[in-house]
Amino acid sequence: MLGVGRLEISDLITAVDAGSGARLPVRRDEVVRRLRESGDERAVRIVRRLPVDRDGVLDPGAVDRLLIGVHTELQRLSEELRIGERLVDPVGPLFDAIREVGGQNGQGGPYRLVDVGCGLGYVVRWLAATNALGPDVELVGVDLDAALVGEADRLARAEGLTCRFVHGNAFGPAEAATVYVSTGLLHHFRGPALGEFFRAQAASPAQAFCHFDIAATRLAPIGAWIFHRARMRHRLGRHDGVVSALRAHSDETLLRAAAVPGMRALLYEPGGLANPFCTTLRPIIGVRPQLEAPFRRALGRAARRMVGEEHFAGAGVVAGAAVGVEAGGAAGAGAGATR
Amino acid sequence: MTPAVPLALLGLVDSAFSGFRAYAGRDARIRKRRAAVRAALRGLAVGAVLLAAPALAAVLVLLTASDRARTRHALAVGGFGYLLPLCVFAAVVLLSLAAYFVLPFRAGTFAVVVGLGPLTLLRPLAVGAACLGAVLNGGGWCALLVGAVAGAAVLCVEPLAHRRWYRDAQ
Repeated sequence: MLGVGRLEISDLITAVDAGSGARLPVRRDEVVRRLRESGDERAVRIVRRLPVDRDGVLDPGAVDRLLIGVHTELQRLSEELRIGERLVDPVGPLFDAIREVGGQNGQGGPYRLVDVGCGLGYVVRWLAATNALGPDVELVGVDLDAALVGEADRLARAEGLTCRFVHGNAFGPAEAATVYVSTGLLHHFRGPALGEFFRAQAASPAQAFCHFDIAATRLAPIGAWIFHRARMRHRLGRHDGVVSALRAHSDETLLRAAAVPGMRALLYEPGGLANPFCTTLRPIIGVRPQLEAPFRRALGRAARRMVGEEHFAGAGVVAGAAVGVEAGGAAGAGAGATR
Repeated sequence: MTPAVPLALLGLVDSAFSGFRAYAGRDARIRKRRAAVRAALRGLAVGAVLLAAPALAAVLVLLTASDRARTRHALAVGGFGYLLPLCVFAAVVLLSLAAYFVLPFRAGTFAVVVGLGPLTLLRPLAVGAACLGAVLNGGGWCALLVGAVAGAAVLCVEPLAHRRWYRDAQ
């Protein structure tokens, strides 16, 4: 694919120690070298304008300010594309299903939603401001970038929102989630890292995950170019926006990577079942097998927009799976339990 | 009948939207309706000042014309030619906006992807089409001059408002 070799500048200009979360120095020449190797001279020109110290290390303060500015502009896109509403569309019924199953097992709330790689925490703050998931859902945003987390926390406190933000690893025991969510994160994981990301959630006590990312359609790169050109001023944001669309994982790649033991992987609004002009981002969802049937019931008619791995096994299998789902979902839940 | 009033109204409405765009993406709060309204009013104010430029240009053209009646007529017909493409553009924008605010989020996304996003980029082309309309409708060089000044004025509102109030905002 065209975008596989392309790199996002924002991935390269910050680095943290995976264990401690401490920030690591990043040399501009090294970033330039990697971008040049990928054949992206435009990105090279953008990075060359970033300030460095005498040793050629990128100025961390300038990088933080730049990334906060870019993420603030990105939030504008999320607002315009109504990402909050789009997320609640499947996640609301997901929590309904969790409440239903939890009630049957005598395990009520409170529950916790953790936004992985939350950036400025727009989704978490929007959910807090609208109370869209109900008062029994604690809202937490986690990110490895301390500056973005700090800004998210400042914004939440400025508006008196009931949510919190944590700098560090989203899958650590301290922030164990009922449901993990993310928006625009998955394309950052390449190769085996994508599968590891889903396996980490399956190994956690989480009941489900719901990760939105750019729908990998032929329209996506040109749409990304138009929107980032029309709505963003930062050159870095414009560049990374288009590269993100080029790097977006296909439906099949996401479904296969998310099909990890202990989770039933489902794709909501895949290509072919959704209008690409109406669905710029779509989620890969994972649920514990016993949750699938109540989740489909909670979704109602919208469950028809959701497919599992069998979607790519052949048209006959898909039709059979759809009939099973429409019949009540119990068969689907059973199939999930065997994974 | 003169096209000056609808053209001025269109320019002022566009200026208010430009003010909003100058602000959008600079404020990461969730609740910011008041700030958005203030940005639109700032755009309106900048637009009101800048739109004096085409008005002044029209007055100068009239004052320096050898045949004022003919020049006045040329400006009027040119103004109508200028107005027509802009009305079409404005109608599409308003339709997209209505769809965005009224319809559910999927249809709203459609309105953004097909309408509002690309239309923002097409604003200079709309101004170009309006200038062409002014000439084709018989407005001549004087209508083209006033139209070009008016187009430059409305296109300058957003960068000026951004530079004045929002460039350093976070």
